[in-house]
Amino acid sequence: MRFLRHDPHSLSGAYALDALEAGSERDRFTRHLSRCQSCASEVRGFREVATAMAFAAAAEAPAELRGRVLAAAARTRQLPPEVAGGSHTRPRRTRSWVPWVPWLSGVVATASIVVAVLFGFAQAHTQDELNQVKAENQAISLLLSAPKAKLLTYEVTHGGVATVVLAADRHELAVVTTGLPALPSGQVYQLWLIGKPKIVSAGLLPPAKNGQTPAVLATGVAKGDTLGLTVEPAGGSAQPTTTPILALPLPV
Amino acid sequence: MNPNDSNASRFKSATADRRGERDLDLLLIHVARGDTEAFEAVYDRLVGPVYGVIRRVLRDPSQSEEVAQEVLLEVWRTAARFDPAVGGAATWVMTIAHRRAIDRVRSTTAAAGREHKTAEVHIPHDEVAEAVEASLDAERVRRCLDGLTDVQRQAITLAYYGGYSYRQVSDLLKVTLGAIKTRIRDGLIRMRDCLGVS
Repeated sequence: MRFLRHDPHSLSGAYALDALEAGSERDRFTRHLSRCQSCASEVRGFREVATAMAFAAAAEAPAELRGRVLAAAARTRQLPPEVAGGSHTRPRRTRSWVPWVPWLSGVVATASIVVAVLFGFAQAHTQDELNQVKAENQAISLLLSAPKAKLLTYEVTHGGVATVVLAADRHELAVVTTGLPALPSGQVYQLWLIGKPKIVSAGLLPPAKNGQTPAVLATGVAKGDTLGLTVEPAGGSAQPTTTPILALPLPV
Repeated sequence: MNPNDSNASRFKSATADRRGERDLDLLLIHVARGDTEAFEAVYDRLVGPVYGVIRRVLRDPSQSEEVAQEVLLEVWRTAARFDPAVGGAATWVMTIAHRRAIDRVRSTTAAAGREHKTAEVHIPHDEVAEAVEASLDAERVRRCLDGLTDVQRQAITLAYYGGYSYRQVSDLLKVTLGAIKTRIRDGLIRMRDCLGVS
Protein backbone atom coordinates (compact mmCIF):
# COMPACT_ATOMS: atom_id res chain seq x y z
CA MET A 1 0.00 0.00 0.00
CA ARG A 2 2.84 2.30 0.80
CA PHE A 3 3.68 3.13 -2.78
CA LEU A 4 0.13 4.16 -3.57
CA ARG A 5 -0.07 6.44 -0.60
CA HIS A 6 3.33 7.90 -1.25
CA ASP A 7 3.59 11.61 -1.87
CA PRO A 8 2.90 11.94 -5.59
CA HIS A 9 5.39 14.83 -5.86
CA SER A 10 8.27 12.41 -5.60
CA LEU A 11 7.30 10.89 -8.96
CA SER A 12 8.12 14.09 -10.84
CA GLY A 13 11.64 12.91 -11.71
CA ALA A 14 10.60 9.48 -12.94
CA TYR A 15 7.76 11.09 -14.89
CA ALA A 16 10.04 13.61 -16.60
CA LEU A 17 12.35 10.79 -17.73
CA ASP A 18 9.39 8.73 -19.05
CA ALA A 19 10.20 6.13 -16.41
CA LEU A 20 6.61 5.65 -15.23
CA GLU A 21 5.03 2.70 -16.98
CA ALA A 22 1.85 3.46 -18.89
CA GLY A 23 -1.16 2.83 -16.68
CA SER A 24 -2.68 3.92 -13.45
CA GLU A 25 0.40 5.40 -11.86
CA ARG A 26 1.27 7.59 -14.83
CA ASP A 27 -2.36 8.60 -15.33
CA ARG A 28 -2.61 9.55 -11.69
CA PHE A 29 0.52 11.63 -11.84
CA THR A 30 -0.66 13.34 -15.02
CA ARG A 31 -3.87 14.27 -13.20
CA HIS A 32 -1.86 15.47 -10.27
CA LEU A 33 0.24 17.67 -12.59
CA SER A 34 -2.82 19.48 -13.84
CA ARG A 35 -3.55 20.56 -10.28
CA CYS A 36 -0.05 21.08 -8.93
CA GLN A 37 1.66 24.18 -10.25
CA SER A 38 4.96 23.51 -8.51
CA CYS A 39 5.10 19.93 -9.82
CA ALA A 40 4.46 21.12 -13.37
CA SER A 41 7.28 23.64 -13.19
CA GLU A 42 9.57 21.06 -11.64
CA VAL A 43 8.81 18.64 -14.48
CA ARG A 44 9.54 21.43 -16.98
CA GLY A 45 12.96 21.98 -15.43
CA PHE A 46 13.71 18.26 -15.42
CA ARG A 47 12.70 18.03 -19.06
CA GLU A 48 15.31 20.67 -19.84
CA VAL A 49 17.87 18.49 -18.09
CA ALA A 50 16.68 15.58 -20.21
CA THR A 51 17.03 17.78 -23.29
CA ALA A 52 20.64 18.46 -22.35
CA MET A 53 21.15 14.71 -22.04
CA ALA A 54 19.62 14.21 -25.49
CA PHE A 55 21.98 16.79 -26.99
CA ALA A 56 24.85 15.07 -25.23
CA ALA A 57 23.87 11.87 -27.02
CA ALA A 58 23.59 13.56 -30.43
CA ALA A 59 24.65 11.34 -33.31
CA GLU A 60 24.84 11.77 -37.02
CA ALA A 61 21.63 10.55 -38.58
CA PRO A 62 21.72 8.63 -41.86
CA ALA A 63 21.79 11.15 -44.71
CA GLU A 64 18.80 9.61 -46.50
CA LEU A 65 16.55 10.29 -43.49
CA ARG A 66 16.28 13.95 -44.40
CA GLY A 67 14.75 13.32 -47.81
CA ARG A 68 12.33 10.77 -46.43
CA VAL A 69 11.12 13.04 -43.63
CA LEU A 70 10.67 16.03 -45.92
CA ALA A 71 8.83 13.91 -48.48
CA ALA A 72 6.58 12.45 -45.78
CA ALA A 73 5.88 15.95 -44.44
CA ALA A 74 4.93 17.12 -47.91
CA ARG A 75 2.10 14.59 -48.03
CA THR A 76 1.00 14.91 -44.39
CA ARG A 77 -1.72 17.29 -43.33
CA GLN A 78 -0.94 19.31 -40.22
CA LEU A 79 -3.14 19.44 -37.16
CA PRO A 80 -4.97 22.72 -36.59
CA PRO A 81 -4.19 24.66 -33.40
CA GLU A 82 -6.35 24.04 -30.37
CA VAL A 83 -8.64 27.01 -30.05
CA ALA A 84 -9.28 28.26 -26.53
CA GLY A 85 -12.82 27.63 -25.37
CA GLY A 86 -13.16 24.71 -27.72
CA SER A 87 -12.77 21.11 -26.73
CA HIS A 88 -9.73 21.35 -24.55
CA THR A 89 -7.61 18.29 -24.06
CA ARG A 90 -7.24 18.56 -20.32
CA PRO A 91 -7.66 14.99 -19.10
CA ARG A 92 -11.15 14.55 -17.82
CA ARG A 93 -11.37 13.19 -14.35
CA THR A 94 -13.75 10.32 -14.49
CA ARG A 95 -13.52 9.33 -10.91
CA SER A 96 -11.83 10.78 -7.90
CA TRP A 97 -9.18 8.47 -6.66
CA VAL A 98 -9.94 7.08 -3.26
CA PRO A 99 -6.90 5.17 -2.19
CA TRP A 100 -8.24 2.97 0.48
CA VAL A 101 -11.71 2.38 1.81
CA PRO A 102 -11.21 0.14 4.78
CA TRP A 103 -13.85 -2.09 6.17
CA LEU A 104 -16.69 -0.73 4.12
CA SER A 105 -20.17 -1.94 4.76
CA GLY A 106 -19.77 -5.56 5.70
CA VAL A 107 -23.34 -6.37 4.82
CA VAL A 108 -22.96 -5.13 1.26
CA ALA A 109 -19.70 -6.95 0.80
CA THR A 110 -20.84 -10.28 2.17
CA ALA A 111 -23.91 -9.95 0.01
CA SER A 112 -21.71 -9.53 -3.03
CA ILE A 113 -19.83 -12.72 -2.25
CA VAL A 114 -23.11 -14.59 -1.85
CA VAL A 115 -24.41 -13.14 -5.10
CA ALA A 116 -21.17 -14.12 -6.80
CA VAL A 117 -21.54 -17.67 -5.52
CA LEU A 118 -25.05 -17.78 -6.92
CA PHE A 119 -23.75 -16.55 -10.26
CA GLY A 120 -21.34 -19.41 -10.16
CA PHE A 121 -24.27 -21.80 -9.97
CA ALA A 122 -26.13 -19.98 -12.68
CA GLN A 123 -23.14 -20.16 -15.00
CA ALA A 124 -22.48 -23.84 -14.49
CA HIS A 125 -23.83 -25.88 -17.38
CA THR A 126 -22.59 -29.40 -16.87
CA GLN A 127 -22.58 -31.67 -13.84
CA ASP A 128 -18.80 -31.38 -13.66
CA GLU A 129 -18.95 -27.63 -13.69
CA LEU A 130 -21.67 -27.75 -11.08
CA ASN A 131 -19.61 -30.02 -8.88
CA GLN A 132 -16.65 -27.73 -9.24
CA VAL A 133 -18.73 -24.69 -8.33
CA LYS A 134 -20.12 -26.59 -5.35
CA ALA A 135 -16.65 -27.50 -4.17
CA GLU A 136 -15.45 -23.96 -4.60
CA ASN A 137 -18.49 -22.62 -2.87
CA GLN A 138 -18.01 -24.99 -0.01
CA ALA A 139 -14.52 -23.61 0.38
CA ILE A 140 -15.86 -20.08 0.13
CA SER A 141 -18.64 -20.65 2.62
CA LEU A 142 -16.16 -22.24 5.03
CA LEU A 143 -14.06 -19.16 4.54
CA LEU A 144 -17.03 -16.86 5.06
CA SER A 145 -17.88 -18.62 8.28
CA ALA A 146 -14.33 -18.65 9.60
CA PRO A 147 -14.42 -16.90 12.95
CA LYS A 148 -11.50 -14.66 12.15
CA ALA A 149 -12.54 -13.78 8.61
CA LYS A 150 -12.03 -10.15 7.75
CA LEU A 151 -13.75 -8.15 5.12
CA LEU A 152 -11.82 -5.69 2.98
CA THR A 153 -13.17 -3.50 0.25
CA TYR A 154 -11.12 -1.46 -2.06
CA GLU A 155 -11.75 0.94 -4.91
CA VAL A 156 -9.85 -0.13 -7.98
CA THR A 157 -7.85 2.59 -9.73
CA HIS A 158 -9.82 2.74 -12.97
CA GLY A 159 -13.21 2.20 -11.41
CA GLY A 160 -14.93 -0.67 -9.71
CA VAL A 161 -14.70 -2.16 -6.26
CA ALA A 162 -12.96 -5.31 -5.11
CA THR A 163 -14.32 -7.09 -2.07
CA VAL A 164 -12.07 -9.49 -0.26
CA VAL A 165 -12.92 -11.91 2.49
CA LEU A 166 -9.70 -12.88 4.20
CA ALA A 167 -9.34 -15.78 6.59
CA ALA A 168 -5.79 -15.24 7.74
CA ASP A 169 -5.73 -18.30 9.98
CA ARG A 170 -6.75 -20.46 7.01
CA HIS A 171 -4.36 -18.62 4.64
CA GLU A 172 -7.23 -18.15 2.24
CA LEU A 173 -9.16 -15.35 0.69
CA ALA A 174 -12.05 -14.89 -1.71
CA VAL A 175 -12.35 -11.98 -4.12
CA VAL A 176 -15.32 -10.59 -5.98
CA THR A 177 -15.34 -7.41 -7.97
CA THR A 178 -18.09 -5.13 -9.14
CA GLY A 179 -18.00 -2.50 -11.83
CA LEU A 180 -14.52 -3.13 -13.20
CA PRO A 181 -14.18 -1.63 -16.68
CA ALA A 182 -14.81 -4.24 -19.38
CA LEU A 183 -11.62 -5.30 -21.13
CA PRO A 184 -11.11 -5.66 -24.86
CA SER A 185 -10.99 -9.23 -26.03
CA GLY A 186 -7.54 -10.68 -25.61
CA GLN A 187 -7.11 -9.21 -22.13
CA VAL A 188 -7.99 -10.55 -18.70
CA TYR A 189 -7.79 -9.42 -15.11
CA GLN A 190 -5.33 -11.46 -13.10
CA LEU A 191 -4.95 -11.61 -9.33
CA TRP A 192 -1.59 -11.87 -7.63
CA LEU A 193 -0.25 -12.58 -4.22
CA ILE A 194 2.71 -10.26 -4.05
CA GLY A 195 5.11 -11.50 -1.41
CA LYS A 196 8.57 -10.37 -0.43
CA PRO A 197 10.53 -13.03 -2.26
CA LYS A 198 8.16 -13.69 -5.12
CA ILE A 199 4.89 -12.93 -6.87
CA VAL A 200 2.44 -15.78 -7.35
CA SER A 201 -0.61 -15.80 -9.58
CA ALA A 202 -3.82 -16.09 -7.61
CA GLY A 203 -5.93 -16.82 -10.66
CA LEU A 204 -7.80 -15.00 -13.40
CA LEU A 205 -11.03 -13.14 -12.74
CA PRO A 206 -13.87 -14.92 -14.53
CA PRO A 207 -15.91 -12.81 -16.96
CA ALA A 208 -18.32 -10.45 -15.20
CA LYS A 209 -22.06 -11.04 -15.13
CA ASN A 210 -24.08 -7.89 -14.58
CA GLY A 211 -20.84 -6.12 -13.74
CA GLN A 212 -19.88 -8.62 -11.06
CA THR A 213 -17.20 -11.29 -11.26
CA PRO A 214 -17.86 -14.65 -9.59
CA ALA A 215 -15.86 -15.28 -6.44
CA VAL A 216 -12.27 -16.41 -6.86
CA LEU A 217 -10.68 -18.36 -4.07
CA ALA A 218 -6.96 -17.97 -3.40
CA THR A 219 -5.04 -20.19 -1.05
CA GLY A 220 -1.54 -20.05 0.36
CA VAL A 221 -1.81 -16.46 1.52
CA ALA A 222 1.33 -15.68 3.50
CA LYS A 223 2.24 -13.04 6.03
CA GLY A 224 3.20 -9.78 4.35
CA ASP A 225 1.43 -10.59 1.08
CA THR A 226 -0.20 -7.87 -0.95
CA LEU A 227 -3.15 -8.71 -3.16
CA GLY A 228 -2.60 -7.27 -6.60
CA LEU A 229 -4.76 -7.02 -9.71
CA THR A 230 -3.36 -6.38 -13.18
CA VAL A 231 -4.52 -6.48 -16.77
CA GLU A 232 -2.81 -9.30 -18.65
CA PRO A 233 -3.00 -10.90 -22.08
CA ALA A 234 -5.64 -13.62 -22.45
CA GLY A 235 -4.68 -16.76 -20.60
CA GLY A 236 -2.82 -14.80 -17.95
CA SER A 237 0.88 -14.25 -17.38
CA ALA A 238 3.47 -16.03 -15.27
CA GLN A 239 4.40 -12.71 -13.68
CA PRO A 240 2.58 -9.37 -13.80
CA THR A 241 3.36 -7.36 -16.93
CA THR A 242 1.44 -4.18 -16.13
CA THR A 243 1.15 -1.81 -13.21
CA PRO A 244 -1.30 -3.14 -10.61
CA ILE A 245 -4.64 -1.36 -10.57
CA LEU A 246 -5.17 -2.76 -7.10
CA ALA A 247 -2.54 -3.32 -4.44
CA LEU A 248 -4.05 -4.28 -1.16
CA PRO A 249 -1.72 -5.21 1.69
CA LEU A 250 -3.30 -8.10 3.49
CA PRO A 251 -3.50 -7.90 7.26
CA VAL A 252 -2.28 -11.46 7.75
CA MET B 1 28.28 21.46 -41.81
CA ASN B 2 29.34 19.15 -39.06
CA PRO B 3 26.14 18.29 -37.20
CA ASN B 4 27.99 17.96 -33.93
CA ASP B 5 29.14 21.56 -34.11
CA SER B 6 25.62 22.72 -34.67
CA ASN B 7 24.39 20.58 -31.79
CA ALA B 8 26.99 21.99 -29.45
CA SER B 9 26.14 25.58 -30.19
CA ARG B 10 22.49 24.65 -30.14
CA PHE B 11 22.57 23.46 -26.56
CA LYS B 12 24.70 26.32 -25.32
CA SER B 13 22.13 28.71 -26.61
CA ALA B 14 19.41 26.73 -24.90
CA THR B 15 20.92 27.31 -21.51
CA ALA B 16 23.35 30.21 -21.67
CA ASP B 17 21.84 32.85 -23.89
CA ARG B 18 18.23 32.31 -24.78
CA ARG B 19 18.47 33.69 -28.28
CA GLY B 20 18.99 30.42 -30.09
CA GLU B 21 16.11 28.96 -28.20
CA ARG B 22 13.83 31.77 -29.27
CA ASP B 23 14.97 31.36 -32.86
CA LEU B 24 13.97 27.76 -32.73
CA ASP B 25 10.64 28.61 -31.08
CA LEU B 26 10.00 31.06 -33.88
CA LEU B 27 10.93 28.50 -36.53
CA LEU B 28 8.48 26.05 -35.05
CA ILE B 29 5.73 28.67 -35.09
CA HIS B 30 6.42 29.06 -38.80
CA VAL B 31 6.33 25.30 -39.24
CA ALA B 32 2.85 25.32 -37.73
CA ARG B 33 1.78 27.57 -40.63
CA GLY B 34 3.04 25.06 -43.16
CA ASP B 35 6.40 26.70 -43.85
CA THR B 36 8.50 23.88 -45.26
CA GLU B 37 11.73 25.92 -45.26
CA ALA B 38 11.30 26.49 -41.54
CA PHE B 39 10.74 22.76 -41.13
CA GLU B 40 13.98 22.02 -42.96
CA ALA B 41 15.80 24.38 -40.61
CA VAL B 42 14.22 22.71 -37.57
CA TYR B 43 15.18 19.33 -38.99
CA ASP B 44 18.80 20.37 -39.50
CA ARG B 45 19.13 21.71 -35.99
CA LEU B 46 17.42 18.89 -34.14
CA VAL B 47 17.95 15.70 -36.12
CA GLY B 48 21.27 14.98 -34.38
CA PRO B 49 19.96 14.87 -30.81
CA VAL B 50 16.65 13.31 -31.91
CA TYR B 51 18.35 10.44 -33.70
CA GLY B 52 21.08 10.21 -31.06
CA VAL B 53 18.82 9.87 -28.05
CA ILE B 54 16.56 7.39 -29.83
CA ARG B 55 19.53 5.27 -30.82
CA ARG B 56 20.91 5.45 -27.30
CA VAL B 57 17.67 3.96 -26.02
CA LEU B 58 16.90 1.50 -28.82
CA ARG B 59 20.44 0.59 -29.92
CA ASP B 60 19.27 -0.81 -33.22
CA PRO B 61 20.16 1.69 -35.99
CA SER B 62 17.38 0.78 -38.41
CA GLN B 63 14.68 0.86 -35.71
CA SER B 64 16.11 4.15 -34.48
CA GLU B 65 15.92 5.64 -37.93
CA GLU B 66 12.31 4.54 -38.22
CA VAL B 67 11.35 6.08 -34.88
CA ALA B 68 13.31 9.26 -35.65
CA GLN B 69 11.31 9.62 -38.85
CA GLU B 70 8.05 9.20 -36.93
CA VAL B 71 9.13 11.80 -34.38
CA LEU B 72 10.19 14.39 -36.95
CA LEU B 73 7.00 13.87 -38.88
CA GLU B 74 5.04 14.32 -35.66
CA VAL B 75 6.86 17.62 -35.14
CA TRP B 76 5.64 18.72 -38.56
CA ARG B 77 2.14 17.44 -37.98
CA THR B 78 1.59 18.79 -34.47
CA ALA B 79 3.67 21.98 -34.59
CA ALA B 80 0.51 24.01 -33.92
CA ARG B 81 0.28 22.36 -30.52
CA PHE B 82 3.68 23.67 -29.49
CA ASP B 83 3.26 26.32 -26.81
CA PRO B 84 6.40 28.40 -26.21
CA ALA B 85 4.93 29.57 -22.90
CA VAL B 86 5.20 26.03 -21.55
CA GLY B 87 8.76 25.28 -22.63
CA GLY B 88 11.30 25.64 -25.40
CA ALA B 89 11.05 24.06 -28.82
CA ALA B 90 14.10 21.84 -28.31
CA THR B 91 12.58 20.43 -25.11
CA TRP B 92 9.23 19.93 -26.81
CA VAL B 93 10.84 17.95 -29.61
CA MET B 94 13.16 15.93 -27.33
CA THR B 95 10.24 15.03 -25.09
CA ILE B 96 8.41 13.59 -28.10
CA ALA B 97 11.57 11.80 -29.27
CA HIS B 98 12.35 10.17 -25.94
CA ARG B 99 8.74 9.19 -25.32
CA ARG B 100 8.48 7.56 -28.75
CA ALA B 101 11.68 5.63 -28.14
CA ILE B 102 10.35 4.45 -24.78
CA ASP B 103 7.03 3.46 -26.33
CA ARG B 104 8.95 1.35 -28.80
CA VAL B 105 11.02 -0.26 -26.03
CA ARG B 106 7.99 -1.05 -23.89
CA SER B 107 6.03 -2.48 -26.81
CA THR B 108 8.88 -4.79 -27.76
CA THR B 109 10.31 -5.54 -24.34
CA ALA B 110 9.35 -9.14 -24.70
CA ALA B 111 11.18 -9.37 -28.02
CA ALA B 112 14.36 -11.31 -27.68
CA GLY B 113 17.73 -9.72 -28.00
CA ARG B 114 17.22 -6.46 -26.28
CA GLU B 115 18.60 -7.79 -23.01
CA HIS B 116 21.91 -8.41 -24.71
CA LYS B 117 21.92 -5.08 -26.39
CA THR B 118 21.37 -3.24 -23.13
CA ALA B 119 23.53 -5.44 -20.97
CA GLU B 120 26.29 -2.88 -20.84
CA VAL B 121 23.97 0.00 -20.01
CA HIS B 122 24.58 -0.26 -16.32
CA ILE B 123 28.03 1.20 -16.71
CA PRO B 124 26.99 4.82 -16.93
CA HIS B 125 30.48 6.19 -17.42
CA ASP B 126 30.90 4.19 -20.58
CA GLU B 127 27.49 5.34 -21.72
CA VAL B 128 28.49 8.93 -21.39
CA ALA B 129 32.09 8.39 -22.43
CA GLU B 130 30.88 7.39 -25.89
CA ALA B 131 29.43 10.81 -26.32
CA VAL B 132 32.27 12.80 -24.82
CA GLU B 133 34.12 13.20 -28.08
CA ALA B 134 30.87 14.06 -29.75
CA SER B 135 30.38 17.51 -28.36
CA LEU B 136 30.81 20.03 -25.67
CA ASP B 137 27.31 19.27 -24.44
CA ALA B 138 28.37 15.78 -23.57
CA GLU B 139 31.26 17.17 -21.58
CA ARG B 140 28.95 19.42 -19.58
CA VAL B 141 26.46 16.67 -18.99
CA ARG B 142 29.19 14.23 -18.02
CA ARG B 143 30.63 16.72 -15.55
CA CYS B 144 27.22 17.26 -14.00
CA LEU B 145 26.51 13.52 -13.87
CA ASP B 146 29.86 13.10 -12.11
CA GLY B 147 28.63 15.44 -9.40
CA LEU B 148 25.85 13.01 -8.49
CA THR B 149 25.98 10.11 -6.08
CA ASP B 150 26.51 6.73 -7.72
CA VAL B 151 22.91 5.68 -7.25
CA GLN B 152 21.54 9.00 -8.54
CA ARG B 153 23.74 8.82 -11.63
CA GLN B 154 23.01 5.18 -12.35
CA ALA B 155 19.27 5.63 -11.81
CA ILE B 156 19.05 8.65 -14.12
CA THR B 157 21.24 7.05 -16.79
CA LEU B 158 19.39 3.75 -16.72
CA ALA B 159 16.04 5.50 -16.91
CA TYR B 160 16.86 8.04 -19.59
CA TYR B 161 19.48 6.40 -21.77
CA GLY B 162 18.64 2.82 -20.89
CA GLY B 163 14.88 3.30 -21.26
CA TYR B 164 14.12 1.39 -18.09
CA SER B 165 11.09 2.15 -15.96
CA TYR B 166 11.86 3.19 -12.40
CA ARG B 167 10.54 -0.16 -11.21
CA GLN B 168 13.08 -1.91 -13.43
CA VAL B 169 15.76 0.51 -12.24
CA SER B 170 14.86 -0.30 -8.65
CA ASP B 171 15.21 -3.98 -9.44
CA LEU B 172 18.52 -3.57 -11.28
CA LEU B 173 20.08 -1.44 -8.57
CA LYS B 174 18.53 -3.38 -5.70
CA VAL B 175 17.16 -0.19 -4.20
CA THR B 176 13.56 0.18 -3.01
CA LEU B 177 11.00 1.87 -5.26
CA GLY B 178 10.57 4.74 -2.84
CA ALA B 179 14.31 5.35 -2.70
CA ILE B 180 14.67 5.20 -6.49
CA LYS B 181 11.97 7.81 -7.00
CA THR B 182 13.75 10.09 -4.56
CA ARG B 183 17.22 9.45 -6.04
CA ILE B 184 16.00 10.26 -9.54
CA ARG B 185 14.33 13.43 -8.37
CA ASP B 186 17.22 14.59 -6.18
CA GLY B 187 19.67 13.78 -8.96
CA LEU B 188 17.68 15.78 -11.49
CA ILE B 189 17.52 18.74 -9.11
CA ARG B 190 21.33 18.65 -8.88
CA MET B 191 21.64 18.28 -12.65
CA ARG B 192 19.30 21.21 -13.15
CA ASP B 193 21.40 23.42 -10.90
CA CYS B 194 24.66 22.18 -12.41
CA LEU B 195 23.51 22.80 -15.98
CA GLY B 196 22.14 26.19 -15.07
CA VAL B 197 18.62 25.40 -16.21
CA SER B 198 16.36 28.21 -15.09
